[in-house]
Amino acid sequence: MDVLAQQLFNGLTIGSVYSLVALGLTLVYGILHIPNFAHGALYMVGGYVTLMTMTTLGLPYFVAMFMSILVVGGIAVLMERLVFHQLRHSPPIHDKIAAIGLLLFLETLVQLIWGADYRSMTTPFDDIVSFLGITVTTQRILIVVAAVLVMIALHLFLKKTMIGAAIIAMSQNREGAFLQGINANRVAMLTFFISGGLAAIAASISSPINLVYPGMGHLVILKAFVIIIIGGMGSVPGAIIGGYILGFSESLGATFISSDYSDIIAFVLLVAILTVKPQGLFAKGAH
Amino acid sequence: MRKLLTLTDVSVRYGFYEALTDISMNVESGELVVLLGANGAGKSTIFRTISGLNKPLKGRIEWQGKSIGGSSASKLVADGIGHCPEGRKLFPNMNVYENLRMGAYAVRRNKKALSETLEQVYTLFPILEEKKGTAAGSLSGGQQQMLAIGRAMMSRPQLLLFDEPSIGLAPLIVEQVFDVIKEINRNGTTVLLAEQNANAALKIADRGYVIEDGKIVVEGEREELFANDEVRKAYIGA
Repeated sequence: MDVLAQQLFNGLTIGSVYSLVALGLTLVYGILHIPNFAHGALYMVGGYVTLMTMTTLGLPYFVAMFMSILVVGGIAVLMERLVFHQLRHSPPIHDKIAAIGLLLFLETLVQLIWGADYRSMTTPFDDIVSFLGITVTTQRILIVVAAVLVMIALHLFLKKTMIGAAIIAMSQNREGAFLQGINANRVAMLTFFISGGLAAIAASISSPINLVYPGMGHLVILKAFVIIIIGGMGSVPGAIIGGYILGFSESLGATFISSDYSDIIAFVLLVAILTVKPQGLFAKGAH
Repeated sequence: MRKLLTLTDVSVRYGFYEALTDISMNVESGELVVLLGANGAGKSTIFRTISGLNKPLKGRIEWQGKSIGGSSASKLVADGIGHCPEGRKLFPNMNVYENLRMGAYAVRRNKKALSETLEQVYTLFPILEEKKGTAAGSLSGGQQQMLAIGRAMMSRPQLLLFDEPSIGLAPLIVEQVFDVIKEINRNGTTVLLAEQNANAALKIADRGYVIEDGKIVVEGEREELFANDEVRKAYIGA
């Protein structure tokens, strides 16, 4: 029973991080129909900016996280302006090639500046607490709480504010959105900023339990793609639920099958779900 | 009367295909002008060009005396041109209220205007108030058309373009939709209406243009168009 509870909590932790990364990916996909392969690189840069702000500038963890949101959000906006916006009349394959180019560029750039070493991030949240028969570090609790708060904030923003609703409107009917006075450029930049910000938060909260290195985004982004395919491309609830489904499957699979296979579970899940529902779980009328 | 919108020799191309050739027309403040033509004649392209979704290849479009050819759709909505498009282009997963609220995006800073216009829309279409929590995608065709009209009213436009609002609707609903368009016009909004249903459209119109293969072939007052043999044969069927 304790093992199960412990693993369920682990699933919640991993799932929270996956959901945040997948949300950023799905928002950008919903608006621009760009599969942003460079999203994993944004996640990686987010981890580095937080770590370096803490170690070289000596600023507190949360300030560093805030810096990271601004920097990564800014890089994402630059990506949109300098690359994707310029390619808006090109065939879709150009976006995909450009995204892979951006991924390689950012990874090499980080490696050039900070080297390829694996680094650990220490935060003030390394206390251990026990409750309901499980033992966890406060960092893991922080991950879950922060992710849920961010998701609630994002939901309120998309649902309750006109600017947020404009993002959803544009993903549901592009021309319909223009005819209501929605400015495509502004919405695109905002969406990229939010997407980058979410990646930065996800990296900043998960790095203390993982490590920071130039390739840290690879597996995360592959899994985020699996999540948004499962959840339905462009669907916000799909990304959240898909993230948690994957998180729980991995942690339970690691315990009850074998931890050697935990990374393969995402892809088995992908095959299984797409066999039954080829449109993904939440694709109903998304486009 | 005051000229609100003037098109002079406007041509539009899709790739190599010339969709519109030297279109010249005008709409005066307060009028209800109808644009008649068969499928593919170019009615939607004229509308899309006026509201900024398409760019004119040549020619001049003037809105209240200022040239607007090439402006973006989002700017033109704020300047007072509303467009209820072909195919409705609703936000299917948003509910009725959210769709209407998006319609007021261009005037979102004016909260009072928003609630007033919403009230007007609900008075014209009580069914929309009843169904305000329903997703637009699950409404019937007639209700979706009403929502599209209501959404277009939300930006409080001076000129409203209606692109084939009767398409695919039951005759009874068509009548209701045309009554509402007449009502909107009577309340002070200038209307430009594209239709294949010439009989119903001419009944409520002041004037009209007939478009064939991207060119304007006939224009005139309502009575003139009703009396015109070619128009009768081609579009009224009597």
